[in-house]
Amino acid sequence: MDVLVQLILNGIMLGAMYAIISVGLTLIFGIVRVVNFAHGEFLMVGMYAVYLLSHHFGLHPYVSAVPMVLMLFAIGALVQRFIIQPLLGADEHIQIFATVGLSTALINLALLIFGADLYSVQEPGLRKPLSIGGYTVLYAQVVIFVSALVLVAGLHLFMQKTPLGRAIRATAQNRNAAQLMGVRVDRIYVIAFGLGAACVGLASALISPLFPVTPTIGTYFVLTAFVVVVLGGMRSMYGAFLGAMIIGIVDSLSGYYIAPDLKEVVYFAIFILILIFKPTGLFGFGRGTE
Amino acid sequence: MTVRVSLSEAPPAGRLAAFLAWLGNPRVYMALAALSLLLVVPIVIDSPFIVHVFVTICVFAGLSTAWNIVGGYAGQLSLGHMVFYGIGAYTTALLIQHYELMPWLGMWVGAALSVVLSVCIGYPCFRLRGPFFALATIAFLEVVRLLAIHFNGFTGGSAGLIVPLKLGWAWMIFQDKINYLYIAFGLLLATLAVSYAIRTSRLGYYLIAVREREDAASAAGISNTAAKLKAAMISAALTSLFGSFHAMYLTFLEPETMFSLSGSVSVAMFALIGGLGTVAGPLLGTVLVVPIAELARGWLGASANGLHGFVYGVVLVLITLTLPGGLVGTFGPRVTALIDRLPGRRAAPDREEPALRKIDGKPGEPVLETRDLVMKFGGLTATDHVSITLRRGEILGVIGPNGAGKTTVFNQMSGFLRPTSGTVVVYDAAGRPVMPTRPDEFARLGVGRTFQIVQPFGKLTVIENIMIGAFMRHASVEDARAAALRVARLVGLLHVKDVEARNLPIGDLKRLEVARTLATEPSILLLDEVMAGQNQADTQKMVELIRAIRDTGVTVIAIEHNMQAIMSLSDRIVVIDSGKVIAQGDPREVVRNRRVIEAYLGEDFVDAQGL
Repeated sequence: MDVLVQLILNGIMLGAMYAIISVGLTLIFGIVRVVNFAHGEFLMVGMYAVYLLSHHFGLHPYVSAVPMVLMLFAIGALVQRFIIQPLLGADEHIQIFATVGLSTALINLALLIFGADLYSVQEPGLRKPLSIGGYTVLYAQVVIFVSALVLVAGLHLFMQKTPLGRAIRATAQNRNAAQLMGVRVDRIYVIAFGLGAACVGLASALISPLFPVTPTIGTYFVLTAFVVVVLGGMRSMYGAFLGAMIIGIVDSLSGYYIAPDLKEVVYFAIFILILIFKPTGLFGFGRGTE
Repeated sequence: MTVRVSLSEAPPAGRLAAFLAWLGNPRVYMALAALSLLLVVPIVIDSPFIVHVFVTICVFAGLSTAWNIVGGYAGQLSLGHMVFYGIGAYTTALLIQHYELMPWLGMWVGAALSVVLSVCIGYPCFRLRGPFFALATIAFLEVVRLLAIHFNGFTGGSAGLIVPLKLGWAWMIFQDKINYLYIAFGLLLATLAVSYAIRTSRLGYYLIAVREREDAASAAGISNTAAKLKAAMISAALTSLFGSFHAMYLTFLEPETMFSLSGSVSVAMFALIGGLGTVAGPLLGTVLVVPIAELARGWLGASANGLHGFVYGVVLVLITLTLPGGLVGTFGPRVTALIDRLPGRRAAPDREEPALRKIDGKPGEPVLETRDLVMKFGGLTATDHVSITLRRGEILGVIGPNGAGKTTVFNQMSGFLRPTSGTVVVYDAAGRPVMPTRPDEFARLGVGRTFQIVQPFGKLTVIENIMIGAFMRHASVEDARAAALRVARLVGLLHVKDVEARNLPIGDLKRLEVARTLATEPSILLLDEVMAGQNQADTQKMVELIRAIRDTGVTVIAIEHNMQAIMSLSDRIVVIDSGKVIAQGDPREVVRNRRVIEAYLGEDFVDAQGL
């Protein structure tokens, strides 16, 4: 029993990490209607930047969170403006190829600059275990969990209470109608893509103390994030958050009870089954076949 | 009238002549000359490195050509295609290791396994939209890769698998690398031949139709799933064969490289750069891009790790932004025009089918019946117990206010919607009642329909659009083309036959909609507002056309808002309002019916007129 509770706790901690990345992916897909295959590489870029700031300037990764959020917002906005926007009217496969190309270019640029070596941020204090009622989690994991909650709550308030949030929601629901009401849709898309990328900026700062960065770290995380997003119904941040928790727990349990190297097989299998049998996601928040 | 002779049917002497005639076509001899460079250049230069580059080109060009069958022709963007390559490689290697089975045989076992897997992936996933289909294929690739790592007792796991080194042609492993090039080149030629054969056959046209518009394709009698599965199976088998060969060339297999995501992306990328859905595109893309990678590796060594991938990625983004049609899509027509100026023989001129199929049967007998059709969308009853009998040889007009449910009835009569309750019965050629379910089944039974909102295959020419319909009764391209030309003349589209459909004005698009349906040679024709948005002259032409169609024995049922036209055209009228049939009978009587006037003009009007 104790093992099970500890595993579920681990899963929730892991899920919180996936949640931050997946919420960003969901924002981009839900509003711009583009699947960003380069999302993981945004994370990788952020993590290298966090490493460089920490290594050369001794900046604490949590302090780096602020510049990372700003930098990734800028990267996301630029990508939307100069790559996605010209392709919004193009065939879907062309949009896929554009973000896949971006992903390939970024992975290999990292390989060219940093090589295949692992670089990790040295903050051993954050990897210390914290005991809660007999169960242990790491300090850094608690920070990630709280940040995930704050992020979703913050985005919720932003979307519901601010005029810009309302304009974003209107655009997501009906692009043409929003345009007729005077919403500058292109600008909303730039902001939405920036916000989605900024989530990854936050994630890169929070994850760095736990995971060393490599050129392919993004692929590792983003494939899981795609599973989460599909599970959550593609459009809804709340769905993505719940989906992330489920995948975190599945990851943790199947790693223990089945085999550590087969846990991905388990959630990819879930992913395929969801896509085929329940493309609206587990909670019915959206649609995948539309 | 000239008829093209196909190679297989002609007598031996004629076969040789036909082959020579085919070789004499400048497009053919130029293509063969260009291809032979892949063999001649490395033989002349004779350096191991150059041979290696050309083997790699042949393998990736073949993989990309095979990918293009499903990714380009069928438009199903697989980003996990290396799963078939890996299966081919591992199957062949393991069969040598455990059973001493020669790779020449083992590669077919791998191909068979890949075909099975392609059906397992394709059948459930083909309904997914673009990016989600791509993600699902990635997921399958990852699952197989992780399983290959996990079952290391069988596959060697992450440590890798060394192919047993037995030299010679029987074992496909050579000291002299040039032998590999012969095999790779042969495989590439075969793959290109398959790709070309598909592109120029009924399947090729069907795949494009399915890619462009699934609804219009099934209205033309195409089973979308069957077409896509055929493409996936052929593509998987070819990909697997290249995997088997490459395993013999590399002699060392590890899951990371055999089931690689970046490899899958590269293969798709070469096709995009060269031109998606073209025969030559994938080869051209590979020839342009692969040498960059191999030369960077050869000259700069490990310090250039990532350089070629970076270049690949940047090129990919630039191509999507500047040349989404790829090189062949953008420059192909100009190059072929130049090649066509060279001396040589040309393809035979077109022939035209003398007449369409004549429909027999007694006038007046029922050909299609709807019985108590009910269609509910949530709380809304769009069709409320509609029973209509269509009799052979008549023109039945369906009228009713906007939103009355006319098109919903049509959608049920052609299989696009399954009624909540009630049945649609079609009487087949022998007069037996049949209850089809899918749109393509309706179409093959002779129920042809047009769409209210026109559904042209935009990137195909007018004549190719009509051919999509004609393929239902004519398997060969020549016959379908001849039948399509006949239809084009009948509906008055012959003068624009080589124009791409997306460039047509609305009047021509409406006629094209009728033409494509007519080309399926239906015995029952469902016309959904074919006169809407047309000017007087065009409307008159359409009325005459519908009469001419009926005179060939076709039964017509037409939804129409143009009252004058439909009243003069119809033998009988059915009026639908709020999902119910409120009146039917002779046109002159129906217009005087009190409920009909109410439906159109409101109760107040009827009272005021004292009707």
